[in-house]
Amino acid sequence: MNIAVLIKMVPDTESKLEINGGKLDGGNFKYMVNPYDEFAVEQAVQFKESEGGKVTLLSLFSENNSIDTDLRKMLAIGADEIIVLRQKNYQGDKPLGNAKILADAIKELDVDLILCGIQGIDYYQAATGTMVAQMLGMPNISGVTNLEINGGKLKAKRQIEGGLQTIETPTPALVTCQKDMNKVRFPALKDIMMSKRKPFENRDVESVDSNDVVTSDSSLPPTRDGGEIIEGENAEEKVDKLLEKLKMEAKVL
Amino acid sequence: MSNVLVVGEVDGSDVKNISQQVAAVASGMGEVTGLVMGNGISEAGMKLAVGKIIIADNTSLEHYDAVKYASVVCHIANENNIETILLGATSMGKDLGPRVAAELNWGYLGDCLEAGSEGFIRPNFAGKVLAKSNPEGPVVASIRNNAYPAGEAWSGSVENYSGNITDSSLNTTEIETVGAGTIELTEASIVVSGGRGLESAENYDSMIRPLAESMGAAAGASRAIVDAGWVSHSHQVGQTGKTVAPDLYLAIGISGAIQHLGGMSGSKYIAAINKDPDAPIFKIADYGIVGDLFEILPVLKSKI
Repeated sequence: MNIAVLIKMVPDTESKLEINGGKLDGGNFKYMVNPYDEFAVEQAVQFKESEGGKVTLLSLFSENNSIDTDLRKMLAIGADEIIVLRQKNYQGDKPLGNAKILADAIKELDVDLILCGIQGIDYYQAATGTMVAQMLGMPNISGVTNLEINGGKLKAKRQIEGGLQTIETPTPALVTCQKDMNKVRFPALKDIMMSKRKPFENRDVESVDSNDVVTSDSSLPPTRDGGEIIEGENAEEKVDKLLEKLKMEAKVL
Repeated sequence: MSNVLVVGEVDGSDVKNISQQVAAVASGMGEVTGLVMGNGISEAGMKLAVGKIIIADNTSLEHYDAVKYASVVCHIANENNIETILLGATSMGKDLGPRVAAELNWGYLGDCLEAGSEGFIRPNFAGKVLAKSNPEGPVVASIRNNAYPAGEAWSGSVENYSGNITDSSLNTTEIETVGAGTIELTEASIVVSGGRGLESAENYDSMIRPLAESMGAAAGASRAIVDAGWVSHSHQVGQTGKTVAPDLYLAIGISGAIQHLGGMSGSKYIAAINKDPDAPIFKIADYGIVGDLFEILPVLKSKI
């Protein structure tokens, strides 16, 4: 079974978010593999181990190659190759345009299953994966916490309000991975060494016009001030005062 | 003014509250058509707070299926010259929205905090940045729960969906309810959350869950105790968990890491109990109690 894993490089969680003139300033961002996508890589490698086949990692990013070292770590987990689609003026908040480029690249690969994280921790649209599936005419299952394969048939459990929905489907299909899906392995030293010899291909892709909505203004949310610390002689007095305020002041009880 | 389609959802014999909120938002944006899909949902679906409702009641729509549901929505959008499609940011809406947007080649805005004819605002970086946009073309948007008051149910005109439903290879074989009877985090008006201060999984089960239950609240958790295996990820609030915006968020033994705050700082009121007076949670809490939660919680529980 051949699997493609879509990987998004996102600003790391320590990145300082600064706004200048209504625009988010990404000049100082350092990038990392989107954490949800790591679950997708781990799952793909587990399927490769049980079913055979090949795991191809596919990422769309700018010409900036500072991401290469971090991406290569995904090869150490056990994926076979990486293709990075390099796009001038790449933007992470264009799901429609980005999905089109990714879908076109996947058409050239012979894959049975596409995996990716449920969402990027940058723009939180949870859109690109689902859009890729639509563009390839494949079914998609999103927010999956448990994925099995038996005789070419997928069995996925996805998080829904108050529970889990189990969906079965033959391949090909696209699945977006939720946090609980697996535990991402720490690669052994020999796997890290091996990963340096695995194929890492850079491919230039054109920028495309898309109907993605353009952000006109970015801002930092209003800061929330700390309120009052409730004083009291003992636990009972503090609790009484708190309940009084929640009932009378906030009117939420 | 534009033609707006609201995709509603049914829960039991009622329309979901989030769907009524979306209907209320839509009413300010133009001519509204509602759509409810499912099996045996006709009666409940009619309660959607819009003037014109299309009901797609079919055995093959029993469970959410990305392919089938998207085909119905797109068919209706094309037939009715729809220019804006609004959904609740639920497990269905967040999956269906992008699929429909791709099929129609429209822009997509996920998990919006604000939506209206003046524009849309959605959170980036777990709510640490707010992005505003004024889409020029047609758009699909999902709206976050509790961002708006719900519309009142009323009876508009109803018609049955008669278009095609695309065949799908997806087959739902089971719906499991996890923690039966408990309230879903993203839908709750009160959330009681526990963190590492509770010291053990047993204390979470014996203190947080019963308190939440007696308050009619959902039980939430910090990432630390989810990673420690005390509770499942479906309880996690924060960057890699759920984003909640209840009327009251009660944080117990949670220090308030930035990743956690991102998931709950949109709550109307925040109350925190923590023994560390310097815990970051107090910097955003409306009400704080500095003290030992093992002393305070039993008292609180007895007075609810």
